[in-house]
Amino acid sequence: MSEQERILKFQIFRYNPQRKGDKPRMVTYEVTEAPGMTIFIALNDIREKQDPSLQFDFVCRAGICGSCAMVVNGRPDLACRTLTSKFEDGEIKLLPLPGFELIGDLSVNTGNFFRAMSERIESWIHDQYADEVNYDQLEERMDPDVADEIYELERCVECGACISACATKRMRDDFLGAAGFMRLARFAIDPRDKRSDEEFYDVIGDDDGVFGCMTLLGCEDYCPKDLPHQTQIAYLRKKMAMVR
Amino acid sequence: MESYIIESNKKKSRLPARLDLAQSGTGLILGLFMWVHMLLVGSIIFGKAAFNFVAKTMELAFLSDTGHGYPIAVFFAVSTIFTLFIIHALLGMRKFPINWKQHRIMRDQMQMMNHTDTNLWYIQAVTGFIMFFAGSVHLYIMLTNPASIGPYMSADRVVSGNMWPLYLILLICVELHGGIGLYRLCMKWGWFTGKDARKSREKLKKLKNRLTIFFLTLGILALLVFVVIGIKHRDKVGEKYEKLSAVVEQVDIKERV
Amino acid sequence: MKVIYTDSLIIGGGLAGLRVAIASMQRGFDTIVLSLIPAKRSHSAAAQGGMQASLGACIKGDGDDEDVHFADTVKGSDWGCDQDVARMFVNTAPKAIRQLSAWGVPWSRVRKGDRDVIINGKKVTITEKDEAHGLISARDFGGTKKWRTCFTSDGTGHTMLYAMDNKAIQLGIPVHERKEAIALIHEDGVCYGAVVRDLVTGELIAYIAKATTIATGGYGRLYSVSTNAVISEGIGTAIALETGVATLGNMEAVQFHPTAIVPVGILTTEGCRGDGGLLLDKDGYRFMPDYEPEKKELASRDVVSRRMTEHMRKGKGVESRYGDHLWLDITLLGREHIEKNLREVKEICEYFLGIDPVKEYIPVRPTQHYSMGGIRTNATGESPTLKGLFSAGEAACWDMHGFNRLGGNSVAETVVAGMIVGEYVADYCAGNTISIGTSTIEHFVRTEEKKISDLLTRTYGENPFELKKEMQEIMMDKVGIFRNGPDLEQAVEELKVLNQRARKIALRNRISSSNPELVEAIRVPKMIKMAQCVAYGALLRTESRGAHAREDYPERNDRDWLKRTLTTWKDEQADLPEVTYEDLDVMKMEMPPGSRGYGVDNTVHHPDTAKREQEVEEIKANNPGADRYEMQELLNPINIPEKFKGKNERIGRGFK
Ligand SMILES: Cc1cc2nc3c(=O)[nH]c(=O)nc-3n(C[C@H](O)[C@H](O)[C@H](O)COP(=O)(O)OP(=O)(O)OC[C@H]3O[C@@H](n4cnc5c(N)ncnc54)[C@H](O)[C@@H]3O)c2cc1C
Ligand code: HEM
Ligand code: HEM
Ligand code: SF4
Ligand code: F3S
Ligand code: FES
Repeated sequence: MSEQERILKFQIFRYNPQRKGDKPRMVTYEVTEAPGMTIFIALNDIREKQDPSLQFDFVCRAGICGSCAMVVNGRPDLACRTLTSKFEDGEIKLLPLPGFELIGDLSVNTGNFFRAMSERIESWIHDQYADEVNYDQLEERMDPDVADEIYELERCVECGACISACATKRMRDDFLGAAGFMRLARFAIDPRDKRSDEEFYDVIGDDDGVFGCMTLLGCEDYCPKDLPHQTQIAYLRKKMAMVR
Repeated sequence: MESYIIESNKKKSRLPARLDLAQSGTGLILGLFMWVHMLLVGSIIFGKAAFNFVAKTMELAFLSDTGHGYPIAVFFAVSTIFTLFIIHALLGMRKFPINWKQHRIMRDQMQMMNHTDTNLWYIQAVTGFIMFFAGSVHLYIMLTNPASIGPYMSADRVVSGNMWPLYLILLICVELHGGIGLYRLCMKWGWFTGKDARKSREKLKKLKNRLTIFFLTLGILALLVFVVIGIKHRDKVGEKYEKLSAVVEQVDIKERV
Repeated sequence: MKVIYTDSLIIGGGLAGLRVAIASMQRGFDTIVLSLIPAKRSHSAAAQGGMQASLGACIKGDGDDEDVHFADTVKGSDWGCDQDVARMFVNTAPKAIRQLSAWGVPWSRVRKGDRDVIINGKKVTITEKDEAHGLISARDFGGTKKWRTCFTSDGTGHTMLYAMDNKAIQLGIPVHERKEAIALIHEDGVCYGAVVRDLVTGELIAYIAKATTIATGGYGRLYSVSTNAVISEGIGTAIALETGVATLGNMEAVQFHPTAIVPVGILTTEGCRGDGGLLLDKDGYRFMPDYEPEKKELASRDVVSRRMTEHMRKGKGVESRYGDHLWLDITLLGREHIEKNLREVKEICEYFLGIDPVKEYIPVRPTQHYSMGGIRTNATGESPTLKGLFSAGEAACWDMHGFNRLGGNSVAETVVAGMIVGEYVADYCAGNTISIGTSTIEHFVRTEEKKISDLLTRTYGENPFELKKEMQEIMMDKVGIFRNGPDLEQAVEELKVLNQRARKIALRNRISSSNPELVEAIRVPKMIKMAQCVAYGALLRTESRGAHAREDYPERNDRDWLKRTLTTWKDEQADLPEVTYEDLDVMKMEMPPGSRGYGVDNTVHHPDTAKREQEVEEIKANNPGADRYEMQELLNPINIPEKFKGKNERIGRGFK
């Protein structure tokens, strides 16, 4: 593990909307690379040693929670699991995720967006008899394959990369966005959710919903959890187009 | 007594679904039509006779005793395509950036991410926009001169009618637009997904690129042939191609038999 | 001054906090959840392994029930837990998991027929019963007799948290994000809410509530290397401590996990070793057999962690810029096995280390993992000393884990505690009113305002990042896996000095709105106090129990130490917390203290142990007809909300 140390050049977007008179700008920082260094480590290093005002969000720093998505050299990705050694020329340009309210520097407000999304698509199990279930009794059975399929679609960590990567979403504010379709598809295949196709149509059957998707596939290509956006949006589109 | 208003269960409009289907349907028909169209027009590469044969067949010449055909058939074909073309264009334009701000966002996004499929869409929008004008001109001419299709008259139109720049632009636009459009259709509706959707996508993209290159080459060759014929025929603009070679061919065939 | 009133204020949007919020909302009380981050990002999402509940559906869980789960939990705690609470917990866990299932968690299910599994490095075929098909499955975890850990592939915590938050959204529970509680508001031994700082605007807001619940997770980040999220800094626990009224329990009980990667401390699962992976030192030498000839790499978590540390102290660690580490070698398992069964580990290695574990060794070292200690509560989840203050989840010392928690028991705790404590919170809301004057509220807000303005005006002083780093190093080096008198004494002294220095923090970036340095400056003094509680508690406890391992006192000493540590910080200017103890009553234990079953049993027994054992035997002998429910009622009668009293059904045995 003895590589030659090199100096990394970070070009970082800086802007604090809370601060009167502050203007968006790019600032360059230099960091000595260490073996195994991730952008998480580097940014903390910059904050501790060079600029304590630098804002960014990390929570799990393990690629699990989705807090740290930002645009790394033109690619929206989870910064915590991005090794600096990946960048051969040692130049790393960091921008906050576009399409979200900017909190400051690299930190954006994805929380209110995803809460609104969940409310809009009613991201919960719909079953009018749910409250009558007796939890002392055996749970309702589920086919093991169906359970696995649902899990595969539920792996979204609400990082927002697919929202930022979608030009449709960015042009049209009311467009639901890929994470929303993914969540809805997850409920659509869940036998516990008793919503009918008509009811799903009420949620996404318009140009702000699935018919507004122009199949740009930025979502598919940049989702850090590799969720199957293309097939799921197609699945919903077909399902919704068939509704009478 | 209190009065109650019973709200009828308002059904959410199914229009967006229908329009989306219409957009894809017209796109699909136009896309497939254009492949056929290019193959037909491409027949000029194999000679005036071949092209003439194709043109006459399109005029349903095989149904008439005289062999002159019914240009009205072409007229109807063009009307149909023209209608689809307009419907498709109108549906497509809904997706365009509606104002400068949206356009700026789109460009900004493309610059920041440089994402292939997003760029492809932009190409589609731009080519669609161009085709709306260029294609309309072509279709209008075809609509109004249904009987004017033939090796000489077409070539004259290309050269002496100064249509070649328009055709060149139209050709590039339609091949890019149609190829991307058909690929997008597969993605959009999940066709040809196979076992591994991601691998299939790569394959389809490759196929799309190859087809676009093939049809562009075909189109450019055809256009060149038209230009050559047109230049040679510059002095005799308006002269119709006589079935001379067609007769010869028939003789040929008889001889062989 | 902005004041927000509600019935039930919940600080923390992890599994525990959300579940309490759901309970009080469902009972019709106005509820608000506060969180540093969007709720779905809470650290609960990181739990990959699973959640324990004795459903007994899979064949390897056959015969499991509440009693077996109870025994495992008590043993695991090294008899340090509260057995009433452990009972409430094991009885409710099956209901909790079934409820989560109805709320949308796609638990992995049993598939009937044969399947291959690897047990002790060998391939074994097991056959699942036909009638279990489609029921919730379970996997094997350390310290459990049966396969009891229910899971969703490799994302259990994630799916649980998402289902929970979705439920909260369905109920319309507001989650106020990017808000940090920095002080509790209390008067005459009653808690009325918290002073909260908006992390974006910097505004201070008073949230006034009938009941306040702290569910802010663990305090792993007191250590320089931790598997915990970077926000697991124990601030919620600290503000309870700072009331001077509420007590913290068992703060010295801190769990270490043997194999987290270096430097970032991300967990690699125990499965690596379970499947046959080895631990190597800097010479590539396999050292575990020297220490533990019998179980080698597969000795229990705390034992392996201790042996690794011992070995590194001998200078056998691999040196790196980030300190010493050892190697985890799974190359011998082969590509196929790794790609199929250890997918997660492979991804972590690729993303965070840039290595291929099929070919290369993984750098690992024991790493802080879980906080057994926390806000002391009684079985209802309420602080015994500060009325109206509740706590649940990792933040609490509800005390079902004692001195060592079992894997899979903590996400289970968050949900079960959420259900049970949630009912008591609602009861409290129903029975109490807010009777606090504006002047008191103002006093608390002004105090915090003053602290912040002091920070912003001081021109010269200490750097908060530095202080934190020093504290974390002290904790790691001297209050770590192995503890001993001299080290602990040093740690206590050094932390005292840090505490002094922390009163003189000055900032370089002096703005009051969103300012990471200010956030740090507010937190660091609190963290240092917490660290002092841990270090001081560890110094005083002269025995080894569970995760608390004293080299100078290697035996478990029930005679003198069968008690819970209670810590308060009454005088803000004091250098050290006050530590008192609470006896665990052996005569009430359903399961009197015994051996945990590792190594030689050198326990110093409690005088009551034999007495209670005999008593238990007598009760059993005198009631030959009693079924297991009646027997439990005789040995350990517990109080539990009516809703959760029902017996749990299992295949093959109904409600028996
Ligand atoms: C890597 C890893 C793997 C694990 N795997 C397992 C496992 O397989 N099985 C198992 O049972 N357990 C596991 N655990 C343990 C388990 O995940 C945690 O104990 C549990 O999730 C804690 O949940 P919680 O609700 O108490 O707190 P958290 O989920 O940590 O939530 C804390 C909440 O409090 C908020 N908060 C904190 N401070 C403040 C403040 N001052 N003001 C306002 N809000 C605040 C945060 O924003 C957050 O919403 C694992 C832990 C780790 C670290
Ligand atoms: C008149 C000009 C035209 C315009 C303005 C236009 C515009 C568009 C636009 C904007 C789209 C994207 C729709 C979306 O993203 O949902 C599109 C799709 C498509 N176009 Fe065109 N187009 C035109 C002509 C044509 C022609 C001549 C063809 C035939 C080759 C064609 C074939 C397609 C196909 C196959 C699609 C994909 C259908 C879909 O996405 O649903 N278009 N068109
Ligand atoms: C039924 C409708 C159509 C008919 C009958 C038709 C017919 C023809 C004919 C006969 C030519 C040869 C040149 C000429 O005679 O001028 C031609 C060329 C061409 N047409 Fe069409 N066309 C139709 C629709 C379209 C459409 C919808 C487009 C695209 C928008 C299109 C694009 C072109 C292009 C690009 C060329 C030049 C090809 C080359 O030389 O390579 N056509 N068409
Ligand atoms: S779908 Fe993928 S990219 Fe989108 S929010 Fe979820 S994890 Fe992120
Ligand atoms: S990027 Fe956007 S347009 Fe559709 S395919 Fe993905 S949502
Ligand atoms: S910090 Fe959680 S995914 Fe990066």
